[in-house]
Amino acid sequence: MAADRRRRLGRDAVSLLEAIALRAEVGRRVQGDSANAVLRSIVEATVTLFDAEAASIALYDAASDRLVFEVAAGEQGQGVLGISIAPDQGIAGYVFRTGQALALSDVAQDARFGRAVAEQTAYLPRSIVAVPLVTDDRTIGVLEVLDKRSAAAFSLRDIELASVFARQAATAITATRVERDVASLLDSALRALAGPGDPEPATVSEIVAAAIEDVGRDDASRLWALADVIARVRAADPGQLELVIDILGALDRQTGRDRSRRRRPRSGGADPRETR
Amino acid sequence: MTELDVPAWSEPFVGDRRTELGRLGPFEAVDREFAFGGSDGSGVRVAIVDSGVERDHPAVGGALVGSFRVEPTDEDPIVVEDPDAIDVVGHGTACAGIIHALAPAAELVSVRVLGPDNRGKGTNFAAGLIWAIEQGITVVNLSLSSRSEELFGLFHELTDEAYFGNVLLVSAANNVPGPSYPSLFSSVVSVAAHDVADPWTWYYNPRPPVEFGGYGLDVDVAWKDGERTVATGNSFAAPHITGIAALIRAKHPSATPFEVKAMLAATANR
Repeated sequence: MAADRRRRLGRDAVSLLEAIALRAEVGRRVQGDSANAVLRSIVEATVTLFDAEAASIALYDAASDRLVFEVAAGEQGQGVLGISIAPDQGIAGYVFRTGQALALSDVAQDARFGRAVAEQTAYLPRSIVAVPLVTDDRTIGVLEVLDKRSAAAFSLRDIELASVFARQAATAITATRVERDVASLLDSALRALAGPGDPEPATVSEIVAAAIEDVGRDDASRLWALADVIARVRAADPGQLELVIDILGALDRQTGRDRSRRRRPRSGGADPRETR
Repeated sequence: MTELDVPAWSEPFVGDRRTELGRLGPFEAVDREFAFGGSDGSGVRVAIVDSGVERDHPAVGGALVGSFRVEPTDEDPIVVEDPDAIDVVGHGTACAGIIHALAPAAELVSVRVLGPDNRGKGTNFAAGLIWAIEQGITVVNLSLSSRSEELFGLFHELTDEAYFGNVLLVSAANNVPGPSYPSLFSSVVSVAAHDVADPWTWYYNPRPPVEFGGYGLDVDVAWKDGERTVATGNSFAAPHITGIAALIRAKHPSATPFEVKAMLAATANR
C-alpha cells in the first residue's frame, strides 16, 4: 500500500514538474535572462541617480569561491565585467564577508580597492561606496558605485540609498534562485518517494527534457515560434507594440468564437493553454 | 537570613549586599570629567575583532600587544597567534587607529577573523568573539556582524556571557535591514554613524536598537600597508565609542558594562 501511495505521489510530482518545466521554458524564451535584465536595470538606475562614473554588482559563486562581477553600467563600468576576485579581497571582499556597508574616498594611491582589479579594468576610482546584497539570512554579493561626479566622497545618505538598490537586486536574485531550487527540490522529493525497493525514478532533467520535447511536436511547435516572435517584439517601439496588441486582441476574440462553436478536445501534444 | 530566604536573583538587593549598589551618583552628576577626566586608557585591554591590525602602522603607535587569528579546522575553528600581525583589508587597522587616538595608553589586541578561507565565516567570527570573552578583554570592538539566522542562538549566548563576564561589547550596527548579530542584542553597545566631524562628539538614542551615534562620516583613517584613507560607515563610528568606553573603564575599573553604557549615555552630546 505504502509503495502504491508513493508511486501515486511520484506520478503527481512528475505531472507538477512537467507543468513547471513548460512554464519555465515559455518564461525563458519570452523574457530571456530576466534576473540579469533586472540587475542591469538596477545598476543603470544607480549610475543615473548617483551621477556616478560606474556601478557594478558582484555575486558570490560558491563553486569557485569567487566574487564575480556580473553586471556593470556607466562609462567606466564595463571593464570590470566577468572579472572575479577572492571573497576576502579589497573593499568588495570586506563588505561581502562582513555585511558592513562602506564608503571610501581619495583612494587612487593605494591598494585598498584591489589594485590588481583596478589595473585590469584600467580605471582607478577616487571614491567608492560598497553595500552588501543580502537575503533573509546571508550575503550573496556586493553592489559598488564608483566616483560620484558631483562630490568628492559618498555620504551616509548615499550608503542608505545604495542599500535600497542592493535590496532590489537581492530580491531579483532570490526569485530566480527559487525557480532553480524548485527543480532540485522536486528531484530530491522524487528520489525520496521512490523508496529503497523501487526502480530508480527519472531525474528531473530527464522529465524536463521529455516535457519540452513533447511540446516541440505538431501544433505546439508553432506556439514556441510565437513565443520567440514575442521575445523579439519586446524591443519594438510603442507604436509597433500597440499594433501587435491590436492584432493579438483580434485573434483572441476570433479564437474565443471558434472555441464556443466546436468544443472538441485537442489531441496529441500538450494543451497549449497550459503554457499561457 | 539564609540564602534560601531570598528569592532567586534578589541577593544583590538585600541586606548588607545593598551597600554595593550605592557606588554611582545620580545621572546628572555624571559628566565627562567624572566619567573619564584624566584617563588615557591605562590598564585597559581592547580587542579588535576584524581583518587584523598592522602592528607597525604609525596610527597604531606601538599599542598592539597581541595579534591572533581564527584558523578554520575540520571541526570548530581555533584561535592561534598571528606573529606577522597583518591586516588583510585595512579595516581593522582603521579601527585600531581610531581607538588609539582616543585612548593612547590602552593595550590593543587584534583577533583576525577574516582571511583567505571562506568556510563558515559566521562561525569564525563567533570563535574570535568567544576567545576575546575567555581572555577577559575589557572592551571588544566589533565593527562587523553576522546575518546568519543559525547563529542567532550562539551570538545571543555569547553576548550574555560577555555581559555577565564584565566584557563590554561595542558593536557597529548594520545599515541594511534584517538580522544582524550581535549588534541587535540589548546588552551590547550598538553604534551607528553621525556626521559631525569630531571624535569627541557622540549621541545617545533612547529609541533602541541602535543606542549610540559615533563619528563615522569622512573619517581620516589608517589603512593597509601603512597608508591612510577617508572612510564612511558605522564600522568607523563603533571604534570611536570603543575608545571612550576604554577611557571610562580605565578610570572606573569596577564599573560593569551596564554602568559604562549608562556613563556613555549620561555624557553624550545633547
